[in-house]
Amino acid sequence: MNHKKKLVHYAPPGVNLGQELGWFASGIGASLLYSLGFLFRYSREYQLLFLWDGTAKVLNTSAVMPNFVQVLGGSLDTFLVLALSMAAVAIYHYSYHYQGSKSIYLMRRLPDRWELPRRCLTLPLMGVLACLCVALLLLLIYYAVYMAFTPRACLAPYQWQKIWSVILGVGI
Amino acid sequence: MIEIKNVSKYFGGKRALDAVSLALPQGQIVGLFGENGAGKTTLIKCILGYLRFSGEITLDGAPISRKNIARLSFATSEHSFFPNLDATAHKEFYEQHFPQFSEKRFRGLMEFFELPKHKALRHFSTGQKNQFEVILSLCQGADYILMDEPFAGNDVFNREDFYKVLLGILEPSETVLLSTHLLEEVENFIGRAILIRRGKIVGDVSMLELEDSGKCLMDYVKETYHYKADRVSKALSELTDEQ
Repeated sequence: MNHKKKLVHYAPPGVNLGQELGWFASGIGASLLYSLGFLFRYSREYQLLFLWDGTAKVLNTSAVMPNFVQVLGGSLDTFLVLALSMAAVAIYHYSYHYQGSKSIYLMRRLPDRWELPRRCLTLPLMGVLACLCVALLLLLIYYAVYMAFTPRACLAPYQWQKIWSVILGVGI
Repeated sequence: MIEIKNVSKYFGGKRALDAVSLALPQGQIVGLFGENGAGKTTLIKCILGYLRFSGEITLDGAPISRKNIARLSFATSEHSFFPNLDATAHKEFYEQHFPQFSEKRFRGLMEFFELPKHKALRHFSTGQKNQFEVILSLCQGADYILMDEPFAGNDVFNREDFYKVLLGILEPSETVLLSTHLLEEVENFIGRAILIRRGKIVGDVSMLELEDSGKCLMDYVKETYHYKADRVSKALSELTDEQ
């Protein structure tokens, strides 16, 4: 509640902050659920590393687990979409000052020139930051899962470097 | 003093202000009159820096910027408050941004107009919204209070109350620039009348001068605008002949 009171000073005066935070939380929740697709894909690939010898499950040492980035696929893309949608929130915050009145006149004649940009941009920027942080955290967790559970014999080398090569768009 | 020197403003190719020059010393109540589209609102918006213009506008010799903008307040019929906030929240917002905000004047005016303090502005009637808009501009602690058709939508009693209250509460250092169509209503309230037509200042007279010459403001306006008194009867007779 206290945090919400503080956040009010970083949003356009009178904007429905609770609703905005609710939408954002829903977006994060939905992205989180979508990202769980990684675990299903990983589990499927993991099963393919084994052969059935009668009733016993035996590791196929010649099998190679697909690279982490391939298994991850687009699991974290929704966070990117959510981060990009923060641009629309910033536009909404600015246009809010034209809704029902022209409070933009007041905002534009405040002695503090940063008040308008602060109230339009702070929350969207915090949203982008939150998306990036959650996506990074999930990336690390999923990477840890991948490395911890994949049998060494089936693991292709340079997994971490391959992540960076995808992020930076360069080959290794 | 606000000095407006040779200010011109074009919208596309259309000239909205044409080399306007004016001085507004402190302590005057000035009426700004003109037809729709004459340039009243454009002039006020140029003073406040909402519109780019050519020429120069200064406040006590300095360009109007964030450093001195708090010395100007603005009440507009378009309203510049936040519709989702109540009066108390507005007071807090103004106090935060304008240290000269007069809480005492705010309280007094809110009580006088019997405006609710804890009701979102969007639920106010048009008249109440106008009143609140003007109250904020009067309480900001500005030296120059610019009003653009602030009473559009208010009933006549309401407006009259406001003129009286204004005259009663204004400090000698406070200047009001009031843009309105209500010539006769504000005649006894203003000290100076400025007429604007097609972006040009066509008249600038003090009410004392007018009084000495035995004219009323409406006569002066008609004279300055070269109003043809017989145009209605001519038009009517032509129309009747046609029929």
